[in-house]
Amino acid sequence: MNDKIVENDIFLKSLDFFKDAFPGRINQILKSKEEGKKIVGTLCLYVPDELIYACGADRVILCGGRSAPIEAAEEYLPRNLCPLIKSSFGSVIDQKCSKTKSCPHFGLVDLIVAEATCDGKKKMYELLNQYIPTHVMDLPQKPENQNALEYYIKELESLKDVLEKLTGNKITEAQLKNEIKSANKTRKLLHAIYELRKKDSPPIRGTEMLKVLQQMHFLSPDEFRKNLVLLLDELKVKKRENIGPRIMISGCPMASGNTKVPEIIEKRGGMIVVEESCTGTRAFWDLVDETKEPMRALAERYLKIPCACMYPNNRRIDQILKLAGDFNVGGVVYYTLQFCHGYNIEKYRVAEALKKAGIPLLSIETDYSAADTEQIKTRVDAFLEMLE
Amino acid sequence: MISIGIDAGAATTKAVVLRENEIAAYTIIPTGFDFRKAGEAAYREVLSKCSTGDSEVGKILATGYGRSSIGFADKTISEITAHARGVGYLIPAAHTIIDIGGQDSKVISIENGKVVDFLMNDRCAAGTGKFLEYTAKALEISLDELGMLAEVSKNPAKISSMCTVFAESEVISLRAQKTKKEDIAAGLIESIILRTTSMVKKLGIKPEVAFVGGAAKNPGIVKALEKALDIRIKLPEEPQITGALGAALFA
Ligand code: SF4
Ligand code: SF4
Repeated sequence: MNDKIVENDIFLKSLDFFKDAFPGRINQILKSKEEGKKIVGTLCLYVPDELIYACGADRVILCGGRSAPIEAAEEYLPRNLCPLIKSSFGSVIDQKCSKTKSCPHFGLVDLIVAEATCDGKKKMYELLNQYIPTHVMDLPQKPENQNALEYYIKELESLKDVLEKLTGNKITEAQLKNEIKSANKTRKLLHAIYELRKKDSPPIRGTEMLKVLQQMHFLSPDEFRKNLVLLLDELKVKKRENIGPRIMISGCPMASGNTKVPEIIEKRGGMIVVEESCTGTRAFWDLVDETKEPMRALAERYLKIPCACMYPNNRRIDQILKLAGDFNVGGVVYYTLQFCHGYNIEKYRVAEALKKAGIPLLSIETDYSAADTEQIKTRVDAFLEMLE
Repeated sequence: MISIGIDAGAATTKAVVLRENEIAAYTIIPTGFDFRKAGEAAYREVLSKCSTGDSEVGKILATGYGRSSIGFADKTISEITAHARGVGYLIPAAHTIIDIGGQDSKVISIENGKVVDFLMNDRCAAGTGKFLEYTAKALEISLDELGMLAEVSKNPAKISSMCTVFAESEVISLRAQKTKKEDIAAGLIESIILRTTSMVKKLGIKPEVAFVGGAAKNPGIVKALEKALDIRIKLPEEPQITGALGAALFA
């Protein structure tokens, strides 16, 4: 199908730093592993990076966005399960390339720090544990409850013990504060970039931003931040003219390898200006309070993540409405993965709220296959034609 | 000058010629395997129907699932936008469009021929023309017969499978249980209506309601839909060409 992407589109040089960083990062991890560094794998934003780094370990995200590993995963997991879960699991058990697993970073991981979010992931972690030691952090399912925060702090304390045992290092308050400070710096940089996306001529497309955010929990924080600085500098002097309808994406995370829907939206002439997603605002929105006792400050910040696994989750709806206003959004594309019950069910209330606010919504439920590409194009075309 | 709209649908390709904002001719042909060939054939046929030559043709606009294959079109639009425009032209009072096509089904809210909101089922055959086509086969009857049979049923069978493949085997086991043919037919139509009405209700029903697409030519389905929605439905004279007409209007 003829795509309508604008001609003479500008080119962002600094994006290459993110793209090219992959092999270097793998080599760096391999090297530091040889030097005795422990590598921790994570699959969710509720696991505070700061603790892992403060302990002298390194971290890589293990969320799968590619469809290739799914087939292998389906020997163990039901077909009607979220593709993100299957893809992540498939990367571990599919041992095609060598004794180390098909996915280059899974083979490197000493410990997985997982979390009790959706049912599918929790049950998958039981299986995962048979391949790689997996520590599952509990999460208060009603984060606004009175004792939720205390409970979460306790879980962070246990995680701290687990990490200290793994590495043999102690996490000192000074180190933790240091890590919090650096992580906040990264968050502030992302805020500055998103600020530019509010402009009438946003300098960066959603598809480009997504590829940056997909690297956020894979690259080392220092390298990621360094690249962000370069990106921000470049974006300050660039802009995109004649953009199509301003679109917000809201919903499930788009793990590395998964860019199908944003690509369709922007190739068909839309401009994604913000994404309410774990590969979007949820990854960096709130800062950690640097003036407070660090464990408590961490807990407060991370419990604020408005994930659809939580109850109640009005804060997510409030956030969507606020972002829609701040970024002057013309329409919202509600993106869900098949069989993700949390985000699929929450869609109803989000749709209600958007309707009330007079903001058009297009809902797309999909998986990692390309089978529905043409159908999605039709809907996206109609949606963009409606917004124009 | 004339303008032409071509709706390259999965099952049928439609073409409409518009002269001075009036329909001068239209045609509906089976798509077959090749969208491009079908598009060209429909173009030739519709031109000959109104005894016009290429030189008179102004703009050509393509819509429908295979719209991008119509290389000779000047522009493409989505069928949702096209149906809205076409229905708005034929039935100015329409605010809701129900389209049960061969490959997908959709409900569109419109205001003066413009899309305000829409819902689409395109992930599987459930609730589409394909569903009826397959399941009618399991009854060894044609689609038209299915509609007529259903009308005489007093006790529609309950078809619980949404999935076309499972529904087909459900039909076979109902037959084995000696359920009356007309009751199975009515059950099948009820099942597709159920899918459609849940979409309509989700979007909100605002009269007039127009029904387009191949299924709208089946009186049994029209009746069942009217009953389920408790509303009189407006049918365009030729319910299959609203997409092509809309495209021609945009040209
Ligand atoms: S969507 Fe929820 S469970 Fe998934 S990564 Fe985000 S916070 Fe974690
Ligand atoms: S997308 Fe949904 S189902 Fe999949 S892992 Fe995340 S919360 Fe669970």
